[in-house]
Amino acid sequence: MKRFDELTRHLLIAGALVGTFALLPIFITQRYLLGEVIVFLIWAMVAMNWNLLMGHAGVFSLAQMLFFACGAYGMAMGVTFANMSVWAAIPVAAISSSLLALVIGLACLRLTGAYVALLTYAIAEMTHVLIITDTECYTLVRNNCQQLFGGSTGFSRFDDFGFRPLLKSNWILGNYYAVLGAFCFTVIGVVVIIHGRLGLAFRAIRDNVGYASSRGINRTKYQIAAFALSALLTGLAGGVYAAHFRFAGPSLFEFSTLMFILSMVVVGGLGSTWGPLIGTGTMMIVVEFSKELGDARNLALGLSLIVFVVLLPKGLAHLGTTLIVKVKHRPDQEHRNPVRQAQE
Amino acid sequence: MDVLIQILITGLTLGAMYALASVGLSLIYGTLGMFNMAHGLFMTLGAYVAYSAAVIFGVPVVVGILVAMAAGALIGIATHLLIVRFMLGSKEFGTNILVATAGLGILIEDLILKTYGGYPYPQPLKVEGYTRLGGVTITYQAIITFFVALTLILAVAWLLKNTRFGRAIRATALNREAAMLMGVKADSVFLQVMALAGMLAGVAGLMISTQATLSPQMGGDPLLKAFVICVVAGLGNVWGAGLCAFALALLEATIGFYFGVRFGFPTMLLLVILVLIWRPQGLFGQEQVVRL
Repeated sequence: MKRFDELTRHLLIAGALVGTFALLPIFITQRYLLGEVIVFLIWAMVAMNWNLLMGHAGVFSLAQMLFFACGAYGMAMGVTFANMSVWAAIPVAAISSSLLALVIGLACLRLTGAYVALLTYAIAEMTHVLIITDTECYTLVRNNCQQLFGGSTGFSRFDDFGFRPLLKSNWILGNYYAVLGAFCFTVIGVVVIIHGRLGLAFRAIRDNVGYASSRGINRTKYQIAAFALSALLTGLAGGVYAAHFRFAGPSLFEFSTLMFILSMVVVGGLGSTWGPLIGTGTMMIVVEFSKELGDARNLALGLSLIVFVVLLPKGLAHLGTTLIVKVKHRPDQEHRNPVRQAQE
Repeated sequence: MDVLIQILITGLTLGAMYALASVGLSLIYGTLGMFNMAHGLFMTLGAYVAYSAAVIFGVPVVVGILVAMAAGALIGIATHLLIVRFMLGSKEFGTNILVATAGLGILIEDLILKTYGGYPYPQPLKVEGYTRLGGVTITYQAIITFFVALTLILAVAWLLKNTRFGRAIRATALNREAAMLMGVKADSVFLQVMALAGMLAGVAGLMISTQATLSPQMGGDPLLKAFVICVVAGLGNVWGAGLCAFALALLEATIGFYFGVRFGFPTMLLLVILVLIWRPQGLFGQEQVVRL
C-alpha cells in the first residue's frame, strides 16, 4: 500500500467521493431528499474547515459561523445593493470573509488556547447584536425598509443561481451541481492543505509550539494563515448557502447553529481528515430523528457533545483505533492521576 | 452632576452583577483550568428556580436569594460529578471541557425552555419603590443588588484568604501537584469550587432577572461580558476579575449614555483587544514562563 503518498491517496478518496455525489441525482429524484443532500454538502464544507482550523492548526476559534455569515451576507449584499451577478458575488464574499479573518486573526492570535476561543466568540456575538439592533434604513427595497446589514430579519428573496428559468422544474439539479462544485473545491483545498507542507507545519505547532518554533516555524504567522484560509473556504460555503436558500439572516449567528456544527466536528473526530463528513451525516440524522421525537434538537446536540467529549474525544473517525487501544491497555487510572504522571 | 450620578448608579449596579458572574468564572478557571461555557445557564437556572419558589411558595426576597444560591451550587456540583470529574487531567482538557460545557449549556437552556416556555416573565422577587438623589431616581432594587453582590464577594474573598478551605483552594490553584503531595484532596477542592462558583452565578442570575425579565436566553449576554472581564483581568485572577467588572461596567454605562446602549459592549470589546495587544496575559495576569 506504499504506492501512493498520503496526499495522492486522500485526493483519490476525494475524487471518488465527489464522483459518488455527482452520480447521486440519478438515484435520488425526490426534491426534498436532494435538498437534504445539498444541506449536507454545505454543512460538511463548514465542518471540514473548522476541523482544519481547530483539529490541525490548533486554533480554538468560535468565530466559524461569523465567517460563514460573512460569506452569506456578503453575497446577499452584493446582489441586493451592488447588482452583482450571483456568480461574481460568491467569490467576492469569500474573499471578504477571508480579509475579515485576517483582521480578527491579527488581533486575536497573539493569544493562545482558551483566550482565542473567548475573544472570537465575543467578536461573533458582538457582530450578531450590532446587526439585530440596527434599525436605520439604508435603502428601500420594494417599499420596505432595508437596513445596511439586514437588521433583525436579514436579507431574503434576492437572486439565486438562476437555474429556475433555465431548467424549469429541475432547477434543484442546477443548484445541486453548483453546490457540489463548491464542495469539490473545498474538499480538494482542505486535503491539499492538511496533507501538504502547510498542514505539517500546523500540526507541528499544535503538538509542540516550542519545538516547532525552534525549527523556524512562526506560530502566529502560520495560525493566521490557517485562520484566513479556512475563512475563505467557509465564506465560500456561506455564499453558496445564501444563493441556494436566497436567505442570509441573523439566525446564522445563533448559538445553537454554532453548536450544531461544533458537534459535527467533535462527533466526527477532531484532527482527522474525513471525520467531519461522518460527523455531519451522523448529526444531521440524529437531529432529524430528535425533531420527530418532539423538538428535541438542542437536547440531542447538547447530549451528543457531552457524551462524545467524555467517552470518545477522538470521534467516530478514530472509533476503531480507540477501541483497540482500550482493549489492549486497560486505561486504568493513567490519566486521572497527575501526581503519578509527575513522578514518572 | 445628575448625569454623573446616573452613570455611576447604572455602572455600579451593572458592575455588581458582572462581578458576581466573573468572580465565579475566574475561580473555576484558576483552580480547574476550565472555561465554563455553561456559567450563563447556571445564572438562568438560579433565576428560574427562585422564580418558581416565589410563585409556588411565596417566599420573601431574602429566602429567594438563598434558594437561587442553593440552585446554583447544586448545578455546579452536578456538573462536576457528572462531567468534569471524568475529564480532569485528560489530554486537551482545556478545549474538550469548553465543548462539553457548551453542550451542557445548550442542554440546560433547552430544558428551561421546555419547562417554562420562551415567554419572558417579570421576576416577582423584586423590591419595588425608589428614592431620589438630586434629580436622579435610584430604585431600591439597584441598591439591594449592589449590596448583596458586595457582601457575597467580600465573603468569598474572606473565605479564600482566611480559612483552611480557602487555603486549600488557593494552593490547588497555584500548583495542583504540589498541593496534592501536601495532602490537599484536590477532588473535593474542585467540587467545592464548582459549588461556590455556581452559588455566585445563581445569585447573579436572580439579580439580573430583577433588572430585566426572565427568559431562557437571559444568561447569554452577562456570560459574554463576564468572559471579556476575565480575559482582560487575566484568566484565573479572582481579585482582578472583581475590579475589572466594576471598571468595565462603568465604562459601558458611560458609552451607553453618550452614544447609545448598543455601542456599550462593542467599545468594551475594542478596548479589551487593545489591552490584550499591549499585555497578552491580561491586566493583572502574571507572565507565564512555559517550560518545554
